[in-house]
Amino acid sequence: MASLPKRIIKETERLVSDPVPGITAQPHEDNLRYFQVTIEGPQQSPYESGVFQLELFLPDDYPMEAPKVRFLTKIYHPNIDRLGRICLDVLKTNWSPALQIRTVLLSVQALLASPNPNDPLANDVAEDWIRNEDAAIAKAREWTQLYAK
Amino acid sequence: MSTYEEEHNTSGNSNSRRDLRAQIRNLYQEDGSSTALLQLLAQLIPESMQEELLNEKEEGCPETFIDSLPRVNKCDLKGADACSICCCGYLDDTHPLVVKLPHCSHRFDLECVAVWLSKSRTCPLCRDDVLSHKPKVDISNVELEEDWGMYG
Repeated sequence: MASLPKRIIKETERLVSDPVPGITAQPHEDNLRYFQVTIEGPQQSPYESGVFQLELFLPDDYPMEAPKVRFLTKIYHPNIDRLGRICLDVLKTNWSPALQIRTVLLSVQALLASPNPNDPLANDVAEDWIRNEDAAIAKAREWTQLYAK
Repeated sequence: MSTYEEEHNTSGNSNSRRDLRAQIRNLYQEDGSSTALLQLLAQLIPESMQEELLNEKEEGCPETFIDSLPRVNKCDLKGADACSICCCGYLDDTHPLVVKLPHCSHRFDLECVAVWLSKSRTCPLCRDDVLSHKPKVDISNVELEEDWGMYG
């Protein structure tokens, strides 16, 4: 494996020394490009009091290419599908090499605070969300209790 | 005695060049972004450069654009300034090669931003479309420079 770029080393150090509130990111000891991530559900969202596990991988072309991020914890959200894939602009077309692991994870946390059923990845969830928002939020809360403890 | 064009095997005579210039002027005044204008302009440009100008890829900036980015002098760099792509201080390098983007003036290591701009046209920091700011062309003096085609 090629040596780790200085930028990745610096980002990793800062994630440990100056962590983002509500977010942890720990590199895997066998592969320093693979991170185990936890994100706390934002307050006043249906995901409040949940702790969600994610995986984050830095591809060889990082930072020219966005990190790959996926939820491992089951979550009921219109922009996250059943495989945990996330529909988020900064992970796709709006990626910029000036963004970092911490800014990406903050965007994911913000997505939990404001689900967007008009730009869905999980179509069935988005339909529920639009048809009956109260029921969808109740279900998201229920799944948080069931799976994100 | 042979003319410049005959000697240098360039196409057309001075009349057609004058016509061409008139057409370009009209087109520019109608629509600065016209493809027809680009094609006419391309006739004044060496063939080796035409392909790059006309078949510009949708994503990414032409190499000529990246090569022409203005350099930032080492004395204008402060100790804490760092490239936001590699996160390294510019002055960590004894010979930093730093450029600034047009319009937004955001700075990066040339080596870093060149890779990004080869596949994108946006500034990494502000998402400004770096190719959208056309240099202002003053066409009021074009008429006076009747001999400019000679240097083509």
